[in-house]
Amino acid sequence: MDRSKLFGVFLLSLALAGAQALTPAHYLSLSDVARLQNLLSQQFTDLESAYYSVVGLTKLGAAVPDHKEVCQFLKSQLDPTSVDSLFFAAETSQAISGCEIPVSNETRDILLAAVSEDSTMAQIHRAVSALSSLGLPITSQEVVGALLARINKEDNVMAITLALQTASRLSQQAELGGILEEIEDLTARLDDLGGMYLQFEEGLEATAMFVTAAYSLSDHVDMEPPLKEEQVIQLVNSIFSKKSWDSLGEAFSVASAAAALSSNRFHVPVVVSAQGPATVSHSLPTLQLLVTDVMSQPLASANVLVESAYAVASKSIILSQAPFTLNDGVFELNFMSSQPASGYYQFTVAVTGDSRLVANHVELKVKVSTEVAVTNMDLSVVDKDQSIGTKTTRVDFPSKAKTAFTADSHINFAMSFQLVDINTGVELTPHQTFVRLHNQKTGQEVVFVAEPDNKNLYKFELDTTERKSEFDSISGTYSLYLIVGDATLENPILWNVADVVLKFVDEEAPATIQPKTLYVPKPEIQHLFRTPEKKPPTVVSNTFTALILSPFLLLLILWFKLGANMSNFSFSPSTILFHAGHAAMLGLMYVYWTHLNMFQTLKYLAIIGSVTFLAGNRMLAQKAVKRIAAEQSSRLAKYRSLR
Amino acid sequence: MSNSVISVISRFLEEYTTTTPNKLKVVDAYLLYILLTGALQFLYCLLVGTFPFNSFLSGFISCVGSFILAVCLRIQINPQNKGEFLSISPERAFADFLFAHTVLHLVVMNFIG
Repeated sequence: MDRSKLFGVFLLSLALAGAQALTPAHYLSLSDVARLQNLLSQQFTDLESAYYSVVGLTKLGAAVPDHKEVCQFLKSQLDPTSVDSLFFAAETSQAISGCEIPVSNETRDILLAAVSEDSTMAQIHRAVSALSSLGLPITSQEVVGALLARINKEDNVMAITLALQTASRLSQQAELGGILEEIEDLTARLDDLGGMYLQFEEGLEATAMFVTAAYSLSDHVDMEPPLKEEQVIQLVNSIFSKKSWDSLGEAFSVASAAAALSSNRFHVPVVVSAQGPATVSHSLPTLQLLVTDVMSQPLASANVLVESAYAVASKSIILSQAPFTLNDGVFELNFMSSQPASGYYQFTVAVTGDSRLVANHVELKVKVSTEVAVTNMDLSVVDKDQSIGTKTTRVDFPSKAKTAFTADSHINFAMSFQLVDINTGVELTPHQTFVRLHNQKTGQEVVFVAEPDNKNLYKFELDTTERKSEFDSISGTYSLYLIVGDATLENPILWNVADVVLKFVDEEAPATIQPKTLYVPKPEIQHLFRTPEKKPPTVVSNTFTALILSPFLLLLILWFKLGANMSNFSFSPSTILFHAGHAAMLGLMYVYWTHLNMFQTLKYLAIIGSVTFLAGNRMLAQKAVKRIAAEQSSRLAKYRSLR
Repeated sequence: MSNSVISVISRFLEEYTTTTPNKLKVVDAYLLYILLTGALQFLYCLLVGTFPFNSFLSGFISCVGSFILAVCLRIQINPQNKGEFLSISPERAFADFLFAHTVLHLVVMNFIG
């Protein structure tokens, strides 16, 4: 029981995840299509560019000018011995009316000979296409065999795409299953970029030609291509994100892909966009949507409806299952008739009417704007001690109060007003409600925020003693402005309400406020080098150096008095070596202090030290022997004397 | 009270001069020298200040270290302690003394700046 519940929850979450469908971020707008057509309409100089131009324009649904001249050009440039030449001429002649390329037996033989395992995939593709366009018979099974053999040998994206394209020209009775499987294999080779784009690393042309070939073959065998909705949209994004094309071949591939994606039998991506800004107001109550395919051609048989629309702020649902009406190619909905409050609304629009439509659920953010009116603007002077009664003056927008108000140390200035929607009378709380006080003489301005209370009544109070610092205690006449603004307001307000005379105590001489000099060069910083620490005078250090060395003298004197001597100094080599080595070590210490670093010192120390150690070991051993001998002889003498 | 202190000191000095072998007196003179040097260095530091502190430290530690090593040498070569240092001959003690001094001076020279 628990398991099935979990599974149900899992399915539900999957469904909800799927509801956040991807919609095309890039497509060919009308100006893009015009630019593509322009590029394809350039004068062509050879058969290949003629092919790209003419066939490309046909795919975009544009008219090819001067069919007779094109036909003449084809016939004059044709080389009947070249497969490529025959391919370009044949395909182009099919696109224009009334053009017949003469075919001879040799032509047919050349083309048939090209269909074999030993030709390249491109050759096979061009030969088969030429044969098909010229109306010559093709043995489909042989072609299929050759294609499958070539796929194994030329395992790259372009070759397999050409195989798909070739297969779509063969008879429907042929065994095309093996080639059809390649669509799925190629789909797996696409690179996913951030979940938004799907393209081959070989580039735009390869991706666009793949899409064309895949749909061409799928339509031919009437089997849905194994492309998921999300993948189709990602391919659309990749192919139509580039808006200027480097070569005729690239432009041709984009045109072919656009044609394939707008008129195949299985997947037609839908592009839904608002005409102009997605804003409605009382003056413009209808929301207008353009529903087209990827080439900006309007979808004739579509039904557009709002599945749900809810307010972003309150999440309350305003509309559910409301249909759009088609009016002159544009889908319209009178949103204001539902009387929405001003703000932002999230629309989920569904396009139905054709089972081929892909990405037909679109999320749209619609803004409802309105006009604001300031009502009940009451200006009053309030006595702090409450000894004199409050005087209130009402001012109507857009006039200014006739008398100036005064605020000083015992009188406060207060203002209250309401902001309402002109059309509905509902109270509004816009994002920006500011009170600006501008000193006419000094140019100083101070801005405060007016806050609404819980009944949506805006209040502003000015206490001169509290606000001294903002004004720098500069007394004078200030113009008071009310500023009201918001993204959903069509009429932002800047209203000079009144003049207020402010009197501050402890006033300094009013200095003209200079605008803050922010962008002038700053004073140069002089670098202060670290002052060396104070050293003691040289006399003191010299004295103490002498003092420190004096105990050494004392030591020498004491040793002399004790009778320490070097009478036992034996001049054996080990002794000399030892003393020399020891002296060298002490010298090394001095050199370490002045010149070397630890590593070098350790190196030298190791050398000198080992020499000294060996010599010293020898020397001390000899001494030990002597000592033991002396001890033994003295013990012997003592023993003998005792006897 | 002071009488007894003076008599103790004089007795100590008398015994010292008579019973201590010459070798040890030589080492004792060396110890006195090291002590005085260290004390004078410390006095300088107190009077004049600790700049440069690393030099003072290295000099002072050199004195302290040398003093300690000399004391160890004195203990080890004292014939009266022979029983406790059976495996260490006076020559061995001296060799250890020299080796320890090498290491001490390496450190001192590194730190003296």
